[in-house]
Amino acid sequence: MRAPLSTAIAIGAGIITLLGLFIPVEPITSLRGRLIEWAVLLAGVAGLVAIVHLLSVHWRKMTARRNKNIPSAFLLIAFALTFAAGMVLKPGHPSMQKIVTHIQVPIEASLMGVLAVTLTVAAIRLFQRRSGWMSFLFAVSAFVFLIIGSGLLSSSANIPVLKDILAAVNALPVAGARGILIGIALGSLTTGLRVLLGTDRPYSG
Amino acid sequence: MAPDLLWTFIAFFLTILVLSYVMGDNALFRLVMMVFVGISAGYAAVLIFYQVLMPRLITPLVTTPLAANTALVIPAVLGVLLLFKLSPRLSILGNPSMALLTGVGAAVAIGGAVTGTLFGQISGTISPFELSGLSSAGSVISQLFGGIVLLAGTVCSLAYFHFGARKKNGENTGSQPVLIQILARIGQIFIAITLGALFAGVLAASLAALIERLDFLINVLKPLIS
Repeated sequence: MRAPLSTAIAIGAGIITLLGLFIPVEPITSLRGRLIEWAVLLAGVAGLVAIVHLLSVHWRKMTARRNKNIPSAFLLIAFALTFAAGMVLKPGHPSMQKIVTHIQVPIEASLMGVLAVTLTVAAIRLFQRRSGWMSFLFAVSAFVFLIIGSGLLSSSANIPVLKDILAAVNALPVAGARGILIGIALGSLTTGLRVLLGTDRPYSG
Repeated sequence: MAPDLLWTFIAFFLTILVLSYVMGDNALFRLVMMVFVGISAGYAAVLIFYQVLMPRLITPLVTTPLAANTALVIPAVLGVLLLFKLSPRLSILGNPSMALLTGVGAAVAIGGAVTGTLFGQISGTISPFELSGLSSAGSVISQLFGGIVLLAGTVCSLAYFHFGARKKNGENTGSQPVLIQILARIGQIFIAITLGALFAGVLAASLAALIERLDFLINVLKPLIS
């Protein structure tokens, strides 16, 4: 058996956490709470490990003998300045908030704006390369829901027949989304159970 | 230059550099992305330290006697072991910490999937068939019809994701049962409509963001031009 200690920890912690959810009796509930608290702390440490790994990768790329990646230096400098400022000032300080509101938010909003252009280009390319009835249905659906979402038809909410048609049209994506959501939930359930049964051991790498 | 004005100009130039991607991938855009990742990573590290590790682990361990916080010794040890994941040779020492994280995460995911999604979505699919509160025959028929469409759409969409193959003489034939094929074909229609609606939603949201950014650029430029 590969990694018996880790497998026992994963199965034991998982089963206690799951039991605490469905059978809320002491001491299982408090044990579940404690395990979740530990998992939150470990997730925090794992986040720091991931950040250090990201930095080490960019450090290697920057200091490589061949094909030096100079932009990586900007990442490291940006990280060092933000981290140092954050550790000294703490996250709630107005200067730290300025970093969020004047650097992160503009970049994120601009990336979202770029998405509008790339999505439109992608939709046009979809029609050029794969023009089937599914693409047609997708495009008609996108167009109809753009019209509905724009509020152009909001004045027709008082017209009885149109109101019923709009309600029926709005119900169609709900059915599909419900099927997709149930599918995702069943997938999560299967994956989770495979971990709890020890069939999948993603931690034994 | 006033600090606020400086920050506004920083936001202005960053916006222009990101929007320059519309002309094609370029070095300045990649540079901004590097700065963005660096700042996000730095901010995330600070948040993890001050909002997770400091109040939940470091402060209790430092300020109170160890006898009162014996339960915190375990995550502290596991946290230190997790740091070994940074070294390829010693990464095996971090496996127990990862195992606890994975086990608890899997259990929380199962709980969330069952109580949050499965129960909620299934009861949402059933609820239109609850007709007791309706008075007129018209509304009963309308709700019943809506419920049938919703149920059929949900079942057919699920059938589309059914990848099992039919068995004949103990061997896989490689083809699905005919009923599943028919349901999957109908499900494909519902999924195309759903993805179209989702696309429309994302496009509308991104257009709103683009308009907001363009409005910001105009507002910064207006006083400079006039």
